[in-house]
Amino acid sequence: MNLFGVMDVSGSAMQAERMRAEVVSANMANAETTRTESGGPYHRQMVVFAANPTDPTFLDTFHGAQSVNAATSSARSDSEVPGGVHVAAVVEDPAAPLKRYDPGHPDAGADGYVSYPDINPLTEMVDLMGATRAYGLNGSAVQAAKGMISSALEIARS
Amino acid sequence: MQPQIQTRLSDQIERYLDLAATQAKLCAANMANIDTPGFQTLGMDFEAEMREALGSIEDGGAAKAVRIRAVEGLIARPDGNNVSMDRESLELAEAQLKFKTGVALLREEYQRVMDAIHADTK
Repeated sequence: MNLFGVMDVSGSAMQAERMRAEVVSANMANAETTRTESGGPYHRQMVVFAANPTDPTFLDTFHGAQSVNAATSSARSDSEVPGGVHVAAVVEDPAAPLKRYDPGHPDAGADGYVSYPDINPLTEMVDLMGATRAYGLNGSAVQAAKGMISSALEIARS
Repeated sequence: MQPQIQTRLSDQIERYLDLAATQAKLCAANMANIDTPGFQTLGMDFEAEMREALGSIEDGGAAKAVRIRAVEGLIARPDGNNVSMDRESLELAEAQLKFKTGVALLREEYQRVMDAIHADTK
């Protein structure tokens, strides 16, 4: 049993939550963007979290719950920490853009309506808050693991 | 009888520390997946594992893999995830305290062996 594995697991979550916060801030920054590379207004982005498959040596007798969680996890790569989490995808919200009447706008359609991204600042702020809290929670788990490692060093000290 | 640095108690504490570390890792895995849709909280029966470990030390058997199961009786959120932040925080604090208890006991045990080694120099 490796205590440093605890830090890897929490680290993977901190990385994923930071990614989520980045996507949220990109959404808020582009709340009024009407032009994108692919044409049309900006679309809200969302992260999809997936659980990493658990370590076979760590949970080898564990079949029932593993199959429960296997449905949500994708193929495993080398960078994935067993038992941790990873961002499986960043998907685009398929919601239709909001139409606002502004015939003077350079991106206005023939009917005089401009398409704006359907971004609700409230939803984004709540998402950001969730990401911050989860980041902090995993940070305290790292702190706990650090405490355990330093106390294990005490065994050798007389 | 052969003199031994490793006592039965130190073997038992070693297993205890292993189990406490496993419990901490489970908490970390649950916390990491607090926002993963459909994730089920994982847990272990610490007391049952410890009892079994004590038995296997008596028989001289090797340590067995820990049985991990999905924790039942938790309230699932609409996305199917049932990780509870306070349960995990509490479990982690408990695992941490168990670990520190084990370390303190092991230090004491090794100190006893040290005292026996230095018995004639005192």
